[in-house]
Amino acid sequence: MAKKVLVVDDSVFMRDIIKDIFAAGGFTVIGEAGNGVEAVEKFKELKPDLVTMDLVMPYRNGIDATREILRTDNKALVVMCSALGQETMVMEAIEAGAVDFIVKPPRAEDVLAVVKKVLGEA
Amino acid sequence: MAGASWDTSRYLSLFAGEASEHLEALGKDVVRLEQGATVALVDSMFRHAHSVKGMASSMAFEATAKLAHRLEDLLDTLRADVAKVNQAVADVILQTVDALSAHVKAATQSQPLPDSTALVVRLSELNAGLKGVPPPPVSAPPPPPVPEAAAPPAASPSGVVAVDAAAPPRFALKLKINPASNQPGVRGFLAYKRLTTLGNVFELKPPLDDIKAGRVPQGAVTLELETDQSEESITRTMRTVADVELESIGLVQRAPPPPPPGAEADRVVGQEPARTIRVRTELMDQFLDHAGELLLATARVRQIARGMPEALRPPLDESVDRLHLLVKGLHDKVMQARMTPLALITDRLPRAARDIARRRSRDVELVITGEDIELDRAIVDELADPVLHLLRNAIDHGVEPAEVRKAAGKPPKGKVALSVTRQRDRVVLELSDDGRGIDVERLKVLVVERGLMTPEQVRGLSERETLMLVCLPGLSTATDVTDISGRGVGMDAVKRVVEAVGGSLEIETRAGRGTTFRLAVPLTVAMVNLLLVGVGDEVYGLPIGKVSGVVETARGRLALSQSAPVLQWGQSVLPVHELSSLLEVPAGPASAVASPFVVVDSDEGRVALAVDRLLGQEEVVLKALARPLDLVPGLAGVTILGNGRPVFILDVARLVTA
Repeated sequence: MAKKVLVVDDSVFMRDIIKDIFAAGGFTVIGEAGNGVEAVEKFKELKPDLVTMDLVMPYRNGIDATREILRTDNKALVVMCSALGQETMVMEAIEAGAVDFIVKPPRAEDVLAVVKKVLGEA
Repeated sequence: MAGASWDTSRYLSLFAGEASEHLEALGKDVVRLEQGATVALVDSMFRHAHSVKGMASSMAFEATAKLAHRLEDLLDTLRADVAKVNQAVADVILQTVDALSAHVKAATQSQPLPDSTALVVRLSELNAGLKGVPPPPVSAPPPPPVPEAAAPPAASPSGVVAVDAAAPPRFALKLKINPASNQPGVRGFLAYKRLTTLGNVFELKPPLDDIKAGRVPQGAVTLELETDQSEESITRTMRTVADVELESIGLVQRAPPPPPPGAEADRVVGQEPARTIRVRTELMDQFLDHAGELLLATARVRQIARGMPEALRPPLDESVDRLHLLVKGLHDKVMQARMTPLALITDRLPRAARDIARRRSRDVELVITGEDIELDRAIVDELADPVLHLLRNAIDHGVEPAEVRKAAGKPPKGKVALSVTRQRDRVVLELSDDGRGIDVERLKVLVVERGLMTPEQVRGLSERETLMLVCLPGLSTATDVTDISGRGVGMDAVKRVVEAVGGSLEIETRAGRGTTFRLAVPLTVAMVNLLLVGVGDEVYGLPIGKVSGVVETARGRLALSQSAPVLQWGQSVLPVHELSSLLEVPAGPASAVASPFVVVDSDEGRVALAVDRLLGQEEVVLKALARPLDLVPGLAGVTILGNGRPVFILDVARLVTA
């Protein structure tokens, strides 16, 4: 069965790119969120297998959202989406429990390689 | 024991070096301890003692290991309750550090280890006494520390694995971060975090901070993982981390004990690239020597190329330019590799300050800033003694006893500050105290009393020149311990050393307010800018730093003072010295029109040197003189010019007195 992914990013454009990558890779994008608060709500509601999480977002940033999601489910798999130059924040997110990260602009093969590794499919 | 099964002698110098570093750091910590004990501080001390113990035991220096072990036990007790630290405890710790240093020294010289039985007993008693303080009845007594396992996970900085059969198995892992990956630093950090979910990580190389910053040479990371998980489980976990490959994994052998630090490559599986290596100082000197020779040889080739037919010139020049760039690059890299932080010498000072202050019953606070500034290792080494001299002088003769200070309305605790700053291509070390200052008038009297100068000479001195009198050799050897002559102890040596490395010394003082010694030294010794002058058939180099200016005038137009020629220089009149007579070489025919005079700063003050020709300025590689030439006064070194001609560099400061 195709794995379910929740895509979190405040940019619709970026969400679309990521959604397309997942669709092409055989994943089901079961939901998307544009900020950290929404991300936590959607996670509780949809129970995805994996979340891709933008770092910098309004209302609640990706690190806080990750922390909150992991409080809800300590086995949750959250992969951060970051830009170059955000190394420190990514490491903070990893401290908070994120399992991996992808770097924007996302390249299909990188994203799928990371996600498959995390899901133990590679 | 370990020593029997493998040859320890090849590790001896490594052992000595690292153990001394730990002991020095430990001594420094003790001094800080007296300013207030914190858990972090005692922890640091504990780790140092623990490292020394592990190293000594690996080298089969049982007596050393035992002493370090007792110290470790004591520190373990103290870190559980830092309030137990007091002066007596600090004294015993320092005594132990000294004893351990003596052990290390003896071991290095293949001497029998000193007998420290009494100290071992003293440490045990002290520790028992401290532990004997009954805990509050409500709380359960802490479990007795298990000596070997007492080290916290992070307390294995020098690669010494505590032998503990009860600990879970330990695996050596070698990881490779895909060099093409985005943010390799974060990748490495992620792999590290993932492994910490399985157990405790030790021996991480590069250190975590380097990994996080992306400083991972060739993407190679090695570590040891102490875990109850199986090898398969570790391998499986690592497979979930993208872009990080587990290159090898193997169980760490715990017995016999691992070789001492420095031999890590033998211990961890495979050959991982080391982040730093230790290089003997002489080797660094040779590198520099060779790089310098290459520079000179290149200049020589360039010179030869000038004599070639025009048609050959462009490709030849181009090649020489390229060669010069490469050689210059190599030279710069070698210079860079020689840069060492001043902490190498300042780290010893707190301990020294404490010892001097206690001996003299002074209460002194030493504040050191800027010790992380780097300069050439050769200069750092040279400065060690002068800085210690200045510190000793500041405490011995500058800072007053507490009662005197109170009476003068000063805080009873004296303050000595060493500040290091970088000012363009110089490093300035300022050692200042808030003591009584130098009594300039008494200094003048003393100089006359000792027959070092006539009253007339002394009267003619500026304040700055007067203060420099403390550097007169005659004063420094004075044996009486008046406050002024005391200042002179070693001051001539200080000045000599500072000038030998191309630096300068300045003194400022304010009566009752304190004294500042300012040492300005170049970042590197090897390159020096010269003014080339000709005398007769000879060419000499004068360091530009010592040259104040050049005047051209006919010799016949010089004024005379007491029948000696003098040169008008701004507002002042300078004595003129013929360089040819100072060097005892034949002079060329004097020009009737205009001869050049170089105004330089010597030990005798500012003087004018009469030369035959000015030949221009050149940046050269200074080479030290070999015996017996180094004994010739007035010579500072030698260099080889582009035309292949060797040229002596003159020691301007002492040229005139020589």
